[in-house]
Amino acid sequence: MAHHNPDAPSHLKHYFHDVNQQYETSKFAMWAFILTEVLTFAGLFVAYIVYRSWYPNMFIDAHLLLDVNKGLMNTIVLITSSLTMALAIWAIQKNNKRLSVLMLAATFIFALVFLGIKYLEYSHKFEVGQLPGEFYSYMGPDAVHLNNPHIFFSIYFIMTGLHGLHVAIGMGLIAWLIYSTQKGNLTSEYYTPMEMIGIFWHLVDLIWIYLFPLFYLIG
Amino acid sequence: MSEHHITPLRTYLIIAASLLFLSGVTVWVSYIDLGSFNIVLAMFVATVKASLVAFFFMHLLWDDKKNLIMFLMSLMFFGIFVTITMLDTAFRGDLGLNPETKDPINKRAAFYDTLPLTDTHGHPVDEHSGKHDEDKDHH
Repeated sequence: MAHHNPDAPSHLKHYFHDVNQQYETSKFAMWAFILTEVLTFAGLFVAYIVYRSWYPNMFIDAHLLLDVNKGLMNTIVLITSSLTMALAIWAIQKNNKRLSVLMLAATFIFALVFLGIKYLEYSHKFEVGQLPGEFYSYMGPDAVHLNNPHIFFSIYFIMTGLHGLHVAIGMGLIAWLIYSTQKGNLTSEYYTPMEMIGIFWHLVDLIWIYLFPLFYLIG
Repeated sequence: MSEHHITPLRTYLIIAASLLFLSGVTVWVSYIDLGSFNIVLAMFVATVKASLVAFFFMHLLWDDKKNLIMFLMSLMFFGIFVTITMLDTAFRGDLGLNPETKDPINKRAAFYDTLPLTDTHGHPVDEHSGKHDEDKDHH
């Protein structure tokens, strides 16, 4: 019969032998998803590498139009949010619901700050016309000598935009985690969703770790 | 679930502090001109940071090794992707280099209306050389 031990916890699906097998399976599937994420960004990184190898000087000059301080600020914000995410899992493992919710809320706020800084950067670029492809119109004195800077900004906007979309999706997932944890659905016995969303959130941090030097610190 | 490894709080704090420190280092060295070594160093520091995130924050260090293998496979395929693409794009000769002098990638970009065409070094390029002369011969 498919019915198993009546003592088994309610979150255990009948097609798993035990909770540990269920947890390990979820985690392996999450890493399969991470693989597809890495390959999604890989296409964009290849575009970056090819175009940078074709226009090495343009990339160096065009990157000066980006604001290093805002980029560094976002790096610090994102690393800190990764820490608070890890601490939220640590707290739930210790069955400290209150601390876990607090850490999740902090992660959410840091994500919001990240997008806020990104918004300031984007709105400035929209204002002066440092935009992708045919929308590029910036003719400032620091850019008149640039050759094909619209290519740099195409790659910049697509890569940081897709990354920003991941941050936004992560915020939605974290909001749901806050709700579930507060409600008591996640405990030290069962916190699989938090562990999985944690892995996703750290991937977002990991990609930014490469985007930051590749766009803001060329030279 | 009590058999799961619980990473000590101290470890998380040390890793986060290292990540912040390395971010500072990578900004600092970017202001020193090391030629083409700059990008090598920046990518090395980024990879150290990424490894710290993957092994400690993402718990790969304590996980079953199949998860690590899955992750490394994604990086391996990325490597194949880059290598095979570069085998094409890096050896196109004048087919790939300076495409804007042969044929601007996007003639509708606003700045093409006001800027003279230049090659990758910023030298002006005569738009009416080459093909256009051949066209005139036919008239």
